[in-house]
Amino acid sequence: MTEPNTPRPSRQRVVIVDDHAMFRAGVKHEIGPLVTVVGEGSDVESAVTTVLGTTPDVVLLDVHLPGGGGIEVIKQVHEKDPDIKFLAVSVSDAAEDVIGVIRAGARGYVTKSINGLELVDAIRRVADGDAVFSPRLAGFVLDAFSGSIDISAVDEDLDRLSQREREVLRLIARGYAYKEIARELFISIKTVETHVSSVLRKLQLSNRHQLTRWATDRRLV
Amino acid sequence: MPDPDEPRPGPDTSVPRPSLAEIAAQLDEEAGQTPPGAPVAEATTPLKATRVPQGAWLGGVCTGLAAHLGWPVLLIRAIVVGLAAVQLVGAVIYAVLWLAMPIDRSPAAPGIDAATRTGMRTQTSVRSSDIGERLALLLLGVGVALLVQFLVPSWHVVPFWPMVVFAVGVALVWRQADSLAPRIGRRRRMRAVVQALLGIAFIAGGIVLTVARGFGIQQLTTPQWIGVMLFVVLLAVAAPWAFRTRTALTAAREQELLANARADVASHLHDSVLQTLALIQRQADDPKAVAALARKQERELRQWLYGESHEADTIKAALETAAAEVEDDRGVTVDLVVVGDHEMDVRMDALVRASREAMLNAAKHSGADRVDVYAEILDESAEVYVRDRGQGFEVGSVSDDRMGVRGSIVDRMARHDGTARIRSAPGEGTEVWLRMELE
Repeated sequence: MTEPNTPRPSRQRVVIVDDHAMFRAGVKHEIGPLVTVVGEGSDVESAVTTVLGTTPDVVLLDVHLPGGGGIEVIKQVHEKDPDIKFLAVSVSDAAEDVIGVIRAGARGYVTKSINGLELVDAIRRVADGDAVFSPRLAGFVLDAFSGSIDISAVDEDLDRLSQREREVLRLIARGYAYKEIARELFISIKTVETHVSSVLRKLQLSNRHQLTRWATDRRLV
Repeated sequence: MPDPDEPRPGPDTSVPRPSLAEIAAQLDEEAGQTPPGAPVAEATTPLKATRVPQGAWLGGVCTGLAAHLGWPVLLIRAIVVGLAAVQLVGAVIYAVLWLAMPIDRSPAAPGIDAATRTGMRTQTSVRSSDIGERLALLLLGVGVALLVQFLVPSWHVVPFWPMVVFAVGVALVWRQADSLAPRIGRRRRMRAVVQALLGIAFIAGGIVLTVARGFGIQQLTTPQWIGVMLFVVLLAVAAPWAFRTRTALTAAREQELLANARADVASHLHDSVLQTLALIQRQADDPKAVAALARKQERELRQWLYGESHEADTIKAALETAAAEVEDDRGVTVDLVVVGDHEMDVRMDALVRASREAMLNAAKHSGADRVDVYAEILDESAEVYVRDRGQGFEVGSVSDDRMGVRGSIVDRMARHDGTARIRSAPGEGTEVWLRMELE
C-alpha cells in the first residue's frame, strides 16, 4: 500500500463480530457505503461459522464475546483457514485482553470510538497485510517491552524491539499518523509500515521474558 | 489510529453518522434474520450433591445421589436398604447424608419457586408404581436382616429390631422437620403433627425395647429412665431443626450480600448513567455537549467496570485526572497513553501541572477537537508529549498572552530542573515536550 489515496478497485468484504446488535448495526451503517459487509456474528460459535462460510477479507472482532472471547474465534478460524485477517475493535481497553487478542493473531486494534473513515482505512490496511496500531495499542506494546532496554544482549534478538521500531511506536503513541512519522524520521511510509508489521510479528512470536515479566508485574499470571 | 492521508479527519466526514432512529429501524428490520447469540447453558453435573425433593420418599437423599452419580434411584435405594438391614449401617449413612446434603433449590425459575413456596403448585404425588417399589424394598430389607441374623447370630452389638423401631421414629420426625413439602392447609398441618407425635412414640418405644433387651428394665430407676428418654428424644428431634436453622442463617447471609451487591449496582447506575441520560435528553440539540457527556460517562463507567484501582499517588493517575478535567472543561477529546509509572513527588507534580497547562492550551487555542497526550516514564526520566493538530503558531513571535502561558509551562519546568520545548508552525499544529529527570 504505497499510495493510500488511490481508490481501491474492489471493496473489502467484511464480517462484523460483536455481541451487541446495536453496535453491529451502527458500524454497518457507517462503513456500509465503502466496504461490503458480508456477514455478522454475535458469539464465538456464530462468528466462526459465518467467517468460515464467507471467507471475508477482514473480520472486525470484538475482544469480549460470549463463548470464550475474540481470542477463541481467531484460534478456531485460523485452525481451518490461517489467511483470514482480524482487526480487534473493543471498548474494554483492558491491556491484558488487547495484547492477548493481538498475540492470538489479530493484525491490529482500534477502539470503538473510532470514526467511520478511520475504521475503513484501518480495514483496508489490514486487508493489505499491514498492521494497525492505535496510540493505545502502541502504549501497551511499549509497556510490554519496556523491560528490554537494560537487558541488552542477554536474550535472542528476535524478542527485542529495535531502536527504530521503538521510535516508530513512540510516535504512534504520540498520535502521529504514518505519513507524519515518515516525515519525522526521514523514511518512507512503506518503511514505517514494515517496522510496525515487524513489531506485530515479534509480539506474536515472543512468548518469552519481557511479556512474562510484564504480565507478572501486572499480576496477570 | 494512524492515518496516512492527512491530519486526522474531523467528525464531520463525508460519511454521515447514523442517527439513533436509523439504527433502531435497521435493528427492527434485522430482528428476524440475525440469530441472537443465545448462550447455550451446558447441563453440567453439579459438584456438590444436593437432596432432590422431586420424587423423594423420605429426605430426598437417594434421589439426590442418583442425580449426582447418574445412577438409577431404585439401585441406590436398594443399596441403602440392604445396608440398613446389616446392623443399620445404611440407616446411619442415610441420616448423616440427610444432614450433610443441602436441599436442591436451584432449578426452579423465580416464578415457579414462588408458586411452590406459596403452595400454588401441585407437588408430585406418589404414583401407584411407587407402592410396588416400596413393598419390594421393604421385603428386601426384612429379608436381608433375617438372613444376616440367621447367618451371623453372634452379631448383636446393637439389638436390631428395637433399633429399627427407633430409626423409623427418627425418620418420621426428621421428615416433618425437613421442609421438603409445603405445609399449607389445615389437613396437611394436622398430618404433620400426627406424624411427628407418631415418630416420637416410635423413638420412645425403640429405646424401651432396646434397654429392655440389653439390660433389663428393673436395673434402672424411674428418674434415670426419664432422663435417658428425654435426652435421646430431644437429640433425635432437635438435630434437624438445629441444622435447618443453621442452613437458613447461611442462606440469609448470602441473600443479604447478593442484595447489597445489587443495590450497589443499582445506585451506581442511578447516580451515573441515569443522570447522564437525563442530561443528554435535555441538551439533545447540542451535539458537542452530548458528545462530551457521553465521553465523560464512558470514562467513569469504564473506570468502574475495568478500573485497575491503581493508587491515586502516581503520575499515571494524576495525568488521567488532569486529562479528564480538561476534557470536561473544554469539551475536547484528550487521548492519553501512559507507559510505565512512578510515584508522585514535588517535581513530578510540577510535570503533571505543566502537562495539564499544555493540554488546556491546546484545547483553548488550537481549534482542534482532539489532543494526544503520551507519557513515558522510564528508569531515568519522565517525558510527556502533548500534541494537537490545530492552527499552530510562530514560536518566535508569541504574544504576551502566549508568553504567560509559556511561562506557566516552561518556567515551571525550569524551576524543577526540567526541560520544556514547544514545536509549532502555522497550520502544523503544536507539540509540547516536557522532560524531567528522575533521581
